Amino acid sequence: MSTKKNILTIENLSYSYQNGEHTQKVLDDVNIKFESGKIYAIVGESGSGKTTFLSLISALDKLQEGDIKFNSKSLKKITGQEFRLKYVNIVFQSYNLIKYMTAAENVEVASDFDNRKVDPNKYLEKVGINPEEGKRLVGKLSGGQQQRVAIARALASNSPIIMADEPTGNLDEDTEEKIIEIFRDLAHKDNKIVIIVTHSRRVAEKADKVLTLRRGKLS
Amino acid sequence: MFKNMLKRSWLSIKRKLGRTIILTLIFFMMANLVLAAFIIKSAVSAQMDYAKSTLGGTVSIQADMDKIRENQEAEMKNGGNPGEMFKNMSRPSVDVKTANEIATSYTDYVKDYSYEVTSSANSNNLETVETKGFGGKMAGGMGGMPGMPGFGQDSSDDSTLDADITISGVNAYAYIDGVENETITIKDGTYFDEDSTDSVMVSYEFAELNSLKVGDTLKLKNIYTEKEVPLTIIGIYDSSEERADANTVYVNTETAAKFLSSDEYNSGNYDVDNVNFYMTSSDNAEEFVNKINEEFSELAENNLKVAVDTSEYDSISGSIDSVGSFANTILIIVIIAAVIIITLIVTINVKDRRYEIGVLMSLGASKKNIIGQIIAELLIVGTLGFTLASVTGTVFAGTLGNMILEGQTTSSNKQSEQNFGRPGASMGGMPSQKGNNSRSGAPEFPGDDMPNMKQAMQAGRGEEKIELNINAEPIDYLLLFVTGYLVIILALILPSVSIMHYQPKEILTGKE
Repeated sequence: MSTKKNILTIENLSYSYQNGEHTQKVLDDVNIKFESGKIYAIVGESGSGKTTFLSLISALDKLQEGDIKFNSKSLKKITGQEFRLKYVNIVFQSYNLIKYMTAAENVEVASDFDNRKVDPNKYLEKVGINPEEGKRLVGKLSGGQQQRVAIARALASNSPIIMADEPTGNLDEDTEEKIIEIFRDLAHKDNKIVIIVTHSRRVAEKADKVLTLRRGKLS
Repeated sequence: MFKNMLKRSWLSIKRKLGRTIILTLIFFMMANLVLAAFIIKSAVSAQMDYAKSTLGGTVSIQADMDKIRENQEAEMKNGGNPGEMFKNMSRPSVDVKTANEIATSYTDYVKDYSYEVTSSANSNNLETVETKGFGGKMAGGMGGMPGMPGFGQDSSDDSTLDADITISGVNAYAYIDGVENETITIKDGTYFDEDSTDSVMVSYEFAELNSLKVGDTLKLKNIYTEKEVPLTIIGIYDSSEERADANTVYVNTETAAKFLSSDEYNSGNYDVDNVNFYMTSSDNAEEFVNKINEEFSELAENNLKVAVDTSEYDSISGSIDSVGSFANTILIIVIIAAVIIITLIVTINVKDRRYEIGVLMSLGASKKNIIGQIIAELLIVGTLGFTLASVTGTVFAGTLGNMILEGQTTSSNKQSEQNFGRPGASMGGMPSQKGNNSRSGAPEFPGDDMPNMKQAMQAGRGEEKIELNINAEPIDYLLLFVTGYLVIILALILPSVSIMHYQPKEILTGKE
């Protein structure tokens, strides 16, 4: 297990949407550092820019102003595809699994693009999915199990940063509790930077640090 | 990474079975048509080459009637006496030495050649068959009645007037006019060839009338020398041609020469008719004619002209060429249709997989890698479809090719009937004037073991259908796979452009 301190730095990050002639600034000069070994919850009202923030720091969207650095590596210096491949993995509310693959195959896909060979069952077992369940097509699994598979995939990707966008939004309370525990383990045991965008009070309470996004500012 | 890409492709093919089956069927149908088109094109090309070599065309030396008429008109204008002119008119002819010299000088052009030695004989005590209608005996000249002087025949030649048997000497049975179109067939016995000296074929009517049978000796008298020539009857022919002269006997040229005058026979250089040179390829015919005209200018001076007849080749090449054009059209239409259909299917498929593509991109997949996966899937499914089509394509090509050919031949025959009165007939409803180039059906003819040629000649007569020799060659399969893969690549251009414009954020967060 790596104990190296990784830092994700957000510098002067601003982002605007053009709505006809009107420009709407959703992020306004955001500056923050995320450290490995911690779980962060980002909360805010709907439309406050949470998803935009997540898209930018996971390199799903292009930077307009400011910079994002993983340790000293600037996102401006590499492509979004490379940044996603090397540094970040995202867990979505709707799981985003590939339907024609089994749970194990979905986990294996995470290592498809960096030429690593992974044992999917090792990661599935970590999130409570046994090898038999791992052989089932993901469509045959429950919502909670699918979200666990998505997290197992994030684990298998070996990314130092795990982003999660409303990861428990579709889950019942018991399952939500278990999923939060997995994320906590990812941060505290696997030394990942875990950033969760959420509306859930329970999720926010379990985070090491809660950040609120309001009027484009993160505090 | 490539292995992983192939693995994902394979999983997609295996797990999305409905889509895979539909795509395989489309590729299979497309490949059948493409392969059929290539096979037909190959068969057409081979058949055309074959037809060129086997129906290479005929070059004949014949009387230049236009020139003769012009000369007559010029003489009449100058006050010539028509009666005297007719009396002095001589039939232009080629001597056998010239015919042989031409044939042996141009072996690159001439595959074979034939000529006819025509003479007359008396049958002594035998009865002759009463001729039916116009044009009975050839004895004494061209197309004349027995006892009537023909073109160029001196009417004062009394010996000819007494002749009752026409001697027709040709190189071999196959060269007899009427054998090809089967108006003359062997009823009993066998045929003669160049080595069958002193053998004769007589007509069925003549044999019946005189109770002759195969093996009997027929004694005919030379009308010039009164010398009796014994001939062995080796065959009895039957003619369905109403105007056929049943008193014509067929022998080889050497035997026929025995019925010429002593002078002609002794000199070894006598006149021959129906001189035909069979070309190695129809492409060479015109060049050969030019060379003869240059080298043998005396032919033109003697009112002879060298004429090309490639009608047999032309008649078959037209039909076959149409099939080739049709195959080309099919090929182009199928390729265009396949590109459009596969583009649509892949575009819809890519749209359906937008979400999957977004997921892969979020995991760090490059767009090239994603396009590569889709290409690999199509190549795998395409290969399956093409392979299946390789099994059925030959059968399909055979059916399709011959169906088109049959349609084309029927159409040509109808056209021919409208133009000339009946299929295979020359203008005016007269029998073919191709003379001794009538070769199919003759057992000894070198091309007789070539069914394609016979079919071609039959097709030329409009009697039977031509069949393309449909056999898929390795090059046809190679072309199928190359074309198929090109179609896939072309069909992937638009979907690939679409993928290149995909933004993972729009796909993944837009779904929330």
